Amino acid sequence: MSRSEAPARPAGGNLFVALLLAWLFPGLGHAYLGKRGAALLYAVIVTAAFLLGLGYHGKLYVHEPDHPLTVLATFACYGAGLLNIASRLLIENTGGNILSPTFEYGCAFILTAGMMNLLLMLDAYDIFTGTKG
Amino acid sequence: MPQDHFLAMFLYALLTAGFFALLWRSGRRERWRYFFFVLLTMLVGAIAAGWVMYPFPAHP
Repeated sequence: MSRSEAPARPAGGNLFVALLLAWLFPGLGHAYLGKRGAALLYAVIVTAAFLLGLGYHGKLYVHEPDHPLTVLATFACYGAGLLNIASRLLIENTGGNILSPTFEYGCAFILTAGMMNLLLMLDAYDIFTGTKG
Repeated sequence: MPQDHFLAMFLYALLTAGFFALLWRSGRRERWRYFFFVLLTMLVGAIAAGWVMYPFPAHP
């Protein structure tokens, strides 16, 4: 799509607020930008993925100096915004249960939910700048 | 939580297919087509990869 065909930027709003809301809770940035239907679906999908991850005994990663790649996993977890922060505050065992047969699934669900929310932040940016309708 | 591996895999494919269909496609018909394409690709691909790995021993 050429720049001249780009959809018009939504009236009003603040980019920083849109990005902050998008990070805080899935879909909130889209709701702020007037995409309420998509916002609701995004909220359901990402929240379901995160909660399934916890239900499957997944791990909320923290950086471990002996395992450098945990930086990336921690970044992905924190991408889920308030879901991640609230879970760390409310759940006693944030390390999951490595003995559970579904531990790996749980980690995959949690990390994917965080990455999805980060993609939603980028999408909110595109909508705000008019790159995407 | 049920510990069935196929169910977990199906739920994962369902959520990611729905997410990317919404994010990357516009229009109801295009989105449904892409949703089913991603869902089936992930499920069939995972089962096919499982069959390919089947002859290899789990603990050599």
